[in-house]
Amino acid sequence: MRLLPKVLMKGNEAFGEGAIRAGCRYTFAYPITPQSELAHFLARRLPEIGGVFVQAESEVAAINMVFGAAAAGARVMTSSSSPGISLMQEGISYIVGARLPCVVVNIMRGGPGLGNIAPAQGDYWQAVKGGGHGDYRHIVLAPASVPEIIELMELAFDLADKYRGPVMVVGDGILGQMMEPVELGSAEATPAVPAKPWAITGQEGRTTRNVISSLHIVPEENEKFNLELAATFAEIERVEQRYEEYRVEDAALVLVAFGTVARIAKAVVDRARAAGLPVGMIRPITLWPFPRDRIRQAVAQAAGFLVVEMSFGQMLEDVRLSVDGKKPVHFFGRPGGTVPTVREVFAEVEKIMGVTPDAQDFSTAAGVNR
Amino acid sequence: MAHFFPTKRISIFVGALGSGKTELAINTALVLARECLVALVDLDVINPQYRVRMVKEMLVSRGVEVVCPPDQLLQADVPALTPAMLGVLSREDRYGVFDVGGDDIGAVVLGSFRPYLPAGRYAVYYVVNACRPHSATAADIHRMIDRIERAARVGVDYLVNNTNLGSETDPETIIEGRRILDVVAEQRGIRVAFTGVRADMAAAVQELHADIPVFPLRLYMRPPWEK
Repeated sequence: MRLLPKVLMKGNEAFGEGAIRAGCRYTFAYPITPQSELAHFLARRLPEIGGVFVQAESEVAAINMVFGAAAAGARVMTSSSSPGISLMQEGISYIVGARLPCVVVNIMRGGPGLGNIAPAQGDYWQAVKGGGHGDYRHIVLAPASVPEIIELMELAFDLADKYRGPVMVVGDGILGQMMEPVELGSAEATPAVPAKPWAITGQEGRTTRNVISSLHIVPEENEKFNLELAATFAEIERVEQRYEEYRVEDAALVLVAFGTVARIAKAVVDRARAAGLPVGMIRPITLWPFPRDRIRQAVAQAAGFLVVEMSFGQMLEDVRLSVDGKKPVHFFGRPGGTVPTVREVFAEVEKIMGVTPDAQDFSTAAGVNR
Repeated sequence: MAHFFPTKRISIFVGALGSGKTELAINTALVLARECLVALVDLDVINPQYRVRMVKEMLVSRGVEVVCPPDQLLQADVPALTPAMLGVLSREDRYGVFDVGGDDIGAVVLGSFRPYLPAGRYAVYYVVNACRPHSATAADIHRMIDRIERAARVGVDYLVNNTNLGSETDPETIIEGRRILDVVAEQRGIRVAFTGVRADMAAAVQELHADIPVFPLRLYMRPPWEK
């Protein structure tokens, strides 16, 4: 019996715990740093509660096992890190084409190619713009703390079932490895999973057969299917935009950052406020659908925006599309597996707000401005 | 306050993933460095993010010899070890502190050094944070100690109470961890060597249990927004 009410949990463990709490009992994955603890956690936990973990022979195999379990109506997930997620893109496209719900976790690392195992956000474009072939989108959630990982994993499975498609949850090595206290409450109750009359679970007396396929040979039929998908995506964009805002109400400069970088940006906001600078932050929780409505709303009040990313500027494009040229959108990024420091982002804030002149060298030669 | 000071020349910290071995190893090395030569060995091939090599410069500046893979391999996703680790075991002129990777998987690395451990000159400390998943009960703790002893091919000499909830730690939580550890210690016939506590809470915890040392810790494995 547990005597202590809270647990100090690693981010990677929280992805697994959240999945279990969402009723996920099937995981197919292949080890890759910095995601391996998640697979390790589920490999240990799932058999204890009647679930199954299979270490597939590759990421390609893993995502196709996910396809199979999702087709049978199960709540199912896979997890990997950047290179492994690239390998899964064909399978993710097929899963969208077959309208199957599942959850894919990407603990992003430095790229391109083999890159390194350091924290990065360079998979933003791949995640939010449909990383595989064909005309599609899927929901992308970006937690910024260990308790939020659990919360968003539960949400991910619900949204996957609601819209019948994959939901991706992204993090990085810092979020995956860090530990924060979480309140797990009593033993997990199995949540109510919606009925899936389309699932292939045996004909059970029905006269028609359920068929799961992404094949639409006749172009007009495929067009009709694509338009159905497009309507779903439009609905998701309308109702599922999520974000957190911090001290935005009177902010002249609004930082926009997600995941780990949002934690850094929040510390920068506090530092700026202490220095008397009116700075706030909007943190997209859904990377797709991007919370463009909130950004658009902030355009009226803010003098400008500063996007901070662990990349050379990917979410930057979505912020610029939302702001639509009405206000300046600045950028500071550290690509390739490097992490922006509070100090250098604050220096960037001072530069933009005219506290320090443009020409001044602000403590670091690294980083990218666009 | 009765500070912890190692009794043997070689101190080896093992334990479950995320139990706090690295912070304890760093703090132990820094205490030793005030009085004698000390080498801190990073044996962690499990954790890519928060490990000794992350604060190598700070340690070196404070007189600690840091033994870890060469610079070009520091961030590599390979279980790289260096022969200098063996030197620390054999050199009588210095203390050695070993930070072993988490769980039985991390302890396998220690197992490969088993033949070189100087008999009678080393102590194995098993670090427990009872707030971690799978470490909250005596049965869970016994199970992991057994697995780590098999993988590391050494017996655990002491338990260390490092129970904490990060930023939400209070003295009662630490004492609750101590109660669980006392059960484990009695069943295994070993002692709890000390309790590791964030420095600002050390006095309060020492007051709640006076029988074992409280080791006030400074924490070094901080996320980037707390630096």
